[in-house]
Amino acid sequence: MQQLANLSDSELNQRLAHEGLGLQVGPYIYKIKTNLPLVGSGISTLYKNFNLAQPEAFIDYNVAILSKGLLQRLRGQSDFLFDSTNPFDSIPTGQAYAFLEWGMNWCVSLHTNEYLKLHAAAVARGDHAIIMPGVPGAGKSTLCAALGLSGWRILSDEHAMIPPNTTEVVPLCRPVSLKNESIDVIKRFSSNAIFGPVSRETHKGVVAHMKADLHPQSHEMKTLQARTMVFPRYAKDETQRLSPRRRTESFILAAYHSFNYSLLCEAGFEAMKTLIENVTCYDLVYHDLDWAVNAVDSLSDPEPNP
Amino acid sequence: MKWRKNSSGSFYDANESSVVYFDPHSGDTHLLSDFAAYVVQQFGEQSRTTEQLLNQILPTVEQGDIPHLTDALPSVLEDLVTLDILKRE
Repeated sequence: MQQLANLSDSELNQRLAHEGLGLQVGPYIYKIKTNLPLVGSGISTLYKNFNLAQPEAFIDYNVAILSKGLLQRLRGQSDFLFDSTNPFDSIPTGQAYAFLEWGMNWCVSLHTNEYLKLHAAAVARGDHAIIMPGVPGAGKSTLCAALGLSGWRILSDEHAMIPPNTTEVVPLCRPVSLKNESIDVIKRFSSNAIFGPVSRETHKGVVAHMKADLHPQSHEMKTLQARTMVFPRYAKDETQRLSPRRRTESFILAAYHSFNYSLLCEAGFEAMKTLIENVTCYDLVYHDLDWAVNAVDSLSDPEPNP
Repeated sequence: MKWRKNSSGSFYDANESSVVYFDPHSGDTHLLSDFAAYVVQQFGEQSRTTEQLLNQILPTVEQGDIPHLTDALPSVLEDLVTLDILKRE
């Protein structure tokens, strides 16, 4: 399958500006259009090794980020479009790359209900997947990025997608969103981190995305078995710990972190029950990233402590 | 006074001191104490008085727990009404 890296700069820009760039992202096909050089540059950097969609492939999500007309260009504003409609207000063009990524997340968050979807990072080593739910700011993306830079395969930074009544995780590898201090933390953690455009003064502060497909199997589509669920929490002044947590409390917290648990009603309950009763659950409180990576490494042992 | 369950829900019991209960009547998922979950499980289609529930529950518990459970049952029933899992009749 052809990768984006096989396209010349002019071919890439031609597709982005006209017919759209079709990319295979996990189980989905995105078609992306943009007339913004900054966004094109970000896509070229962060999706370089993604597979291009086959020309006849069904497009799941048709998205664009465009600055339209002279007035909008003069105002320095752009729009995110989904199926040619504008679901959000215009945004500053300097933040367009971050908004493209958030818009791509929104597509999955809002439209995909064939899976139980948790707001969670997911990583894998071998066939062992770890799901890491967390509220924004909990440190899950920072930990996910560090694990990706330490040999773990990043399955997703945002959506852990679980086919109902299984413990499988559907890979949906996309760039990792890092905010504010986390950007420099990851730059210090590894010189191998590759970043896209930096978006400043967003509603989340400074945002930059890190290339996530660092593992040789990053673009394999096969689902992986979740064996562990870790609830990470960055806490500067607390003692670092990896401690087991009760399944029933984990059930409630995971449901809280789900995009569609309530929507799925009883099917959501059964899906969560199947997942929770087959994973071992932990709290991970950390402030030192190396310590946290070692703690997660210890969970990939064949027989993790209960 | 009688009590009735609003709907027949689903439980996830991991043998911990709490139980997850999904209530299809409200669509809510609750984390109940194991005793509260046990009380909910005692309800069938019929309504029950507090005394009927006590008569149903007490033979299944250890002798030493009886005074505590007898004291706790009314407030557990009230809590379950607040959660919209039970209703008064």
